[in-house]
This record gives sequence, C-alpha cells and structure tokens, in this order.
Amino acid sequence: MSEYNRVVIPIGPQHPSLKEPGCFTVTLDGEKIVDVVVGIGYNHRGLEKACESRNYIQIIYLLERICGICSHTHTTAFCQGVEELAGISIPRRAAYIRVIVAEIERLHSHLLWLGVAAHEIGFDTMFMYAWRDREAVLDILAAVGGNRVNYGINTIGGVRRDIDDSLRQDILKMTDALQEQVKYYQELALTETTLAARLAGIGKLSGEDALKYGAVGPVIRASGIDFDIRAVDPYAVYAEIPFKVITDTHADVFGRTVVRILELLESIEIIRFCIKNMPDGDIVTKAPRRIPAGEVISRTEAPRGEDIHYIRSNGTERPDRVRVRAPSEANWHAMRHMLLGQYLADAPITIAAIDPCFSCTDRAIVINSGRETELMDWPRLRQYSIDWYKKRGIDVASIKIPERRMYF
Amino acid sequence: MILGLLKIIVFPGFMFLTVYGLLFEYLDRKVHARLQNRIGPPWYQPLADFLKLIGKETIIPADANKTIFQILPVVSLAAVAAAFVYVPVFGKASIASFQGDLIVVLYFLSIPTMCLFLAGWYSRSVYSTLGSVRTLTQMFAYEVPLFMALLAPALIAKTWSVTGMTAFYAEHPLYILINIPAFIVALIAGQGKLERVPFDTPEAETEIVAGPLVEYSGRLLALFRIAVDCELVMVASLVSAIFLPFMTGHAILDFILYLVKTVAVLLFLALMRSVMARLRVEQMVHFCWKYLTPIAILQIIVNLLVRGGLGL
Amino acid sequence: MQTEEAIIHKLAEKFSILKDKLYVQRSKRIISEFLTREEFEQVLPYLRDKMGFYRASHVVGTDEGEDLGFIYLLTNDEGIILALKEKAPKSDPKISSLSGDYPSLEFHERELVSLFGAEVEGLPAGPSYPLPDGWPEGNYPLRKEWNPEYFDQNTMTYNPPIDDKEKEGGKK
Repeated sequence: MSEYNRVVIPIGPQHPSLKEPGCFTVTLDGEKIVDVVVGIGYNHRGLEKACESRNYIQIIYLLERICGICSHTHTTAFCQGVEELAGISIPRRAAYIRVIVAEIERLHSHLLWLGVAAHEIGFDTMFMYAWRDREAVLDILAAVGGNRVNYGINTIGGVRRDIDDSLRQDILKMTDALQEQVKYYQELALTETTLAARLAGIGKLSGEDALKYGAVGPVIRASGIDFDIRAVDPYAVYAEIPFKVITDTHADVFGRTVVRILELLESIEIIRFCIKNMPDGDIVTKAPRRIPAGEVISRTEAPRGEDIHYIRSNGTERPDRVRVRAPSEANWHAMRHMLLGQYLADAPITIAAIDPCFSCTDRAIVINSGRETELMDWPRLRQYSIDWYKKRGIDVASIKIPERRMYF
Repeated sequence: MILGLLKIIVFPGFMFLTVYGLLFEYLDRKVHARLQNRIGPPWYQPLADFLKLIGKETIIPADANKTIFQILPVVSLAAVAAAFVYVPVFGKASIASFQGDLIVVLYFLSIPTMCLFLAGWYSRSVYSTLGSVRTLTQMFAYEVPLFMALLAPALIAKTWSVTGMTAFYAEHPLYILINIPAFIVALIAGQGKLERVPFDTPEAETEIVAGPLVEYSGRLLALFRIAVDCELVMVASLVSAIFLPFMTGHAILDFILYLVKTVAVLLFLALMRSVMARLRVEQMVHFCWKYLTPIAILQIIVNLLVRGGLGL
Repeated sequence: MQTEEAIIHKLAEKFSILKDKLYVQRSKRIISEFLTREEFEQVLPYLRDKMGFYRASHVVGTDEGEDLGFIYLLTNDEGIILALKEKAPKSDPKISSLSGDYPSLEFHERELVSLFGAEVEGLPAGPSYPLPDGWPEGNYPLRKEWNPEYFDQNTMTYNPPIDDKEKEGGKK
C-alpha cells in the first residue's frame, strides 16, 4: 500500500476512550496501525520542584495527590523511605494497617480497571457492574480514611488512623460479598465469547520484551514473569503474609485481565489474613523533623506495578531531591511495541490494558496561584454545590434519590 | 383522499412512527439501564433530548458540503417514514401496498445507512471518515443475510408484499415454525443494521468518538437521532409483521398485539446489546458471512423444497 | 543467587576504578559513587551483558552544585537495584543515551533534557517531555538555581530580580 492510503488519527489529548490527557498519534493503513507516536506530559505540573520547598510532612500530602487511585502506595513508598533514612521502625500494627489499606486500594484500582476495560470494548454492562461493586470498596475506604480517595493514612513513623473492631467486621463483610462477585467476573472473563474475541491475542508482549521495555506490575506478570515487589523486596509486613504471585502466560490483554481478576481474589485473602493477625499496640512512633542526610531508594508494589521513590536528604527539614518513578511511567515504553500491527479498534483496550495513569506518569498537582484558598468542611461543600445549582435554576435538593441499595 | 393523507401523516403513519420511536428509545434505554443495575432515564428523556438538541446551535464544518450535510438527516428520516407506510400496523393491511413492496421497503431501509455513510464522508473529519468506511463495510456484511432472511418467508407465502405475507401467515400460522432460523438471522442482522452493540463499530465511541455523526450538532443531529429511533421501530415492525404474524381480525386488538410484538422484539435487541462486547469490524464481517449468510441460504433452500413438496 | 557483596566483589575485581566506590546500603540495594562519563561507559556494558543488570528502572537527575548527577537504577532478575551514578559538569552536561540498550529509559532521558538541560547524545528525535510547547529555552526547572517564583506563566518568561541574579552569580 502506498503512503497515500494512510490516515493519521489523533487519539487524544481529548478523546472518549482516555480518561486523562495523553496523545497517541496513530497512523493507519486501512484499519491497521502502522505507526504510533506516544505523546504524554500533559499533566506535568512540577511536583518534584514543589517537594524541594516543603518539609517532609507536607510532602506526604503532596505525594498523596500524585494519583487519585493509587494515592496510598505513593505515601507508603515515601514514608518508608524517610523512615529508613531516619532509622526508625514503625509499630507492627501500623505496618498491618498500611498493608490492609494498600490491598483495599488494589481492590479499588483493579475493579476500576475492569470497568474501564469493559467500556473500551463496548461492554458497558460489565463496566456498570464492576463500578457498582467498587462503590462498596470505596465506602470502606471512606470509613477507614474519611475520604473516597486520598485517605491520608500514612505519616512518617506509622499511620494516622486506627482500624477498630467494628470497621474490621465491615471490611470482612465487604470482602465476603466482593469475593463472590469477583468469582463471577472470573467465570465471565473466561467463558464469554465476545469478550474473549476482543481480548485474546491483543497487545502481545512477550516476557523477553516485557523485561526489555521495563514493564512492571500486571503487565509483566501477564507475560509470565513473577516480578512482584511484595515478594521480591518485601516491605511493611508482606514478608509474613502467605500469598501467591499471580502470573499468566497469555502475554496479551486477556492475560492482563486474568491476572488482575486473580489478584483481586489474592488481595481479599491478604486482607483477611491481616485482619485476623493484626497485633494490638501503638500505630505511630515519634519521628524527627530533621531527617539525617542520606539517600534511599524505596519501592512498593502499587496496583499498577512497581513504584520507586528516590529520596535524598541533606539533613534539613526539607529533602534535597525527591523523584517518583510511578508504575505507569514504566509501562509506557512498551506501548508502541504493543500497538504496532494491530487494528485501530484494539488500540483503546491495549492502551487501557496497562492501566495507564497519566497523572502518575507526569507527577502532577494543581496549585492555584494568586487565589485565596480556604478550607471547606463536608456539609459546607455540599451546601455550596446545592447553592451553585440553585443559582442556575436547578434544585438538586428536591431530586429524590431512591434509598441506596446495599448490594453487600 | 384526505383520509389517506391523514393516515400517512398522523396515524398509523409519520406522527405515530416518531412518537413510538421516542417511546422505543425510552424503553430501550430503560431496559438497558435496568439490566446494568442502573435506574435509567424517566419516560420523557428521549423527547427532552430531542427538544434540547432542536434548540441548540447547528455547526457545519467549513470543509463540509453544506447542502448535502443539511439534506442527509431529512432524507434519512423521510426514507424510514416512507418505508413505514408499507408495514401493517392498524388492522390487517398497511396504508399502501402493492406486489413487491417488500423489496421497496428493504431499499428504503438501506437509505438511512447510505445517508450515514455520506454524512460521515462529507463531514471531512478523520473520525467520521473512518466511521463511514466502517458503516459501509458493515453494510456489505449484514445486508445480504438480512435480505435473504426476509425474502425466504416470501417464497412460501408466494407474495412479495408485506401485507400479503402477513395475511398468508395469519391464515397458516404453523408455517412460521419453518422460518425460525430466518427469524433469528433477521434479528441479529437487524442489530447490525441498527448499529447497536455488538455491531456498533461505526460509532464506537472509545475508538472513533461518534463515527459518522461526529461533526453533527443541533437540529441536524436531532433529526438523525429521530431517524435512528424510527429505524428501530421500522425494523421491529417489519420483523414482527413477517415472522410473528398473529392476528385476531379485530383492528384494535391487532394494534395492541402489534405493540406487544414489536416491544418483544425490542426487548430481545436490548438484551443483546446489554450482554455483549463490541466486535471488531472484521470480526463482524466474518461472523455475518460465515454464519448468518449460510443459514439464510439454507433457509431459502428449505423453503423452496417445502413449497415444492407441499405443492403450494 | 548472587549476593550483593558478591556482585560488588566481582565488579571491583574486574574494574579497578570501582574499588571502594560501591557499597551495599541494605539488602537489594547497591549504591555507587559518582563516576565520570568515561568510567561509566566502561562499566555499563559489562553490567548489562555479564552481570544480568539488563533492566533499567529509571534514571534520576540530580543537581550537584557545579555538576549534574545522573543516577541509573538498574535491576537484575533477583530484584537487586544497583544505583550507578554518573556526573557531568553543568557547563558541558553531555552524557550518552542508553535508550538503545535500555528502551525503557527513553522518556526519562527526554526528561533530563527538558528539566535539567542535559545533552543526551544519541537520543532519537521526538517530542519534548514533559514540559509544554513554547517553554522558553535555557530554563531548566529542576536545577537548584531556578526559582519557580520568578517564572511568569502568562508570558512564559523567567524574570529573576537583578540583585538576585547577582547574588546567584556571587554564589558561583
């Protein structure tokens, strides 16, 4: 085919299949992809520079806002890095709470991914089901940390909030109900023919290539390589927890789906184990304001893969350099390789299959410049939004929402 | 004369078609939503959407051919409305009928698809062009099985008029059993014609935004939307007229029966849309030529044999 | 299974320049001291081909005062991270691109170009990342002397006050 038959299609920066800005300039020959330029960086807002002018406690909250989904993993990586620098060890109960929240976060993230992936291939029913189940997980996260995302659990030297007995019961109840649902999804993914037709053989990435391009998380595990930081370089209390590293040999989008669904089940088991074996005791130890000079490389396994934080301290209250290598950042490199030679119809699901988080990639934060900021508590925020709509002639308060059915 | 005009314009013609189309859209969305565990829209939502779109600004791309861009939605709606004249709704007979109107109806039904193709082509946007190409590719896939599936029953009925076929099968209801494979083919191919999941590649929003309609807005989009709704009614009516021709002989009862039958077809289409993922365009073509077309051909052969064997 | 000590021992044996420049920080972490570009390029192929450090997780850019530092985080199959450091003076911040052997470093190297002003030789042409189009040349935000308060987002210009400039010059 000649050059003239080629069409260049921009997927992004604004596109219905992308939930965040990124730009994939796809060159098509008919429906086949012959070239891709991956354009990212739309979310860069200078977080690392911002870290250098803040103290360690402030940075926790800054880093929590790198990503709306895996916010806990970033603070875990940062806090454990700083703790290593300061030479303090956290109470065991705090470590257990960190793991519990991290695994609930993984449930939340994987369910979200399942929904998004289903939506990308036009299977909206699955999308709605997965996100309905995710609501229950978010409710638990809100109960644990007071917020649906950005739970503010971690602090240097431990955690800020305890998980009490009634909450533990709620979590167990949630995991029981969720386990059934996830098993249903597992069956669905393995048997539904249109789903398999759309997922199998798409976005092939052999184990060799996965290593070469530095893929991490479910992407590399779906290529048959058991690389999981929780097992390779255990942090918190993962060394004490019996769990399987899920791998799959399909090496395509289907494999990544299977890995994520099985990881959901594995996470549920980890949560149960932690809740059962959680010791009593303090949840935080005292940490110094000034962190001794030194450098540290801290790793955690985020829902999307390996999260690396490089922290260098110069002995003052502020770090000298903080560099976050979020998991999505590592998975981008193989994207071009995975997309080439595919149909355009498969591009969205291939992109979605690495569970890209553009904010993570670009490490972003919104800083309102030149405007007074003020704190609003929850009822006031709610009132504000109701008034905002009222001004425009819509009375939100009058809309009757049927009492929420608890599915669990 | 005036009565005939009223029939065409008001009932059971154009006005009824549009109102029923909006109702169909509501039902479709509501059922879809309930299957997905959502609440779904209120009954007036399609009408509200339509009215709101009517009130919006219409933007025509600078590169597009203005006349064609504006005419296409109207042509598309008109074609569906014209086809509806030949389908029996109220009573035994349609508003107009003649020997061979089945073919005319099928061709009228192809016009909206062609309009969609042209709409995308003349919009001059990469997304819409790609959507147009997909629309056309898909059309070549489902059109053949759909035509054959609808023509097969005509062989037994020995008439090429929709009204005539309905009358024949109403008298000999057992013959419908022979046509069951064709019925299934027609329903699936009809889903392709209507460009709904799993055959909605032309407007796959996660790939090419909205396909051919990506540049349409305001009034023109509203017209296209209503044309699509009417097409849904049209396909449901045609399929139920040919494959579910149960009649009581009483006009009002028959009309109620018509509503029940079309809604049943719609529910099936909505179910199909809810439980499947979108196929790729080449998977869709494969499926249509590999499974639907052979089944339709087989149906024609069987029907020819039945016709010869029974000495009809 | 190679232990961290064994890796260091093997490397120090092979390269005299690496003697006393590597240490084990804790399990799974080997940190090096800053090497010059020549030393770095001498060591790297051996690490990649013979020692199993064929995965690169990341390259961290740092500001070392007079120099720019580049910390390559290399990983082997056992999950050991070897942080190999390279240094180049700010006046001539040239390093060679590793994106041929480690494709995973391409975006990170682009970042070094945009944010630190490093000159990465051999980096294939491509879009700048992650700074927006129209970012003024010569502004490298992650260098310590660059102060975000002096940057005007509306005009995309960097305007440090005159005396501040002198002060900075004086520091140097």
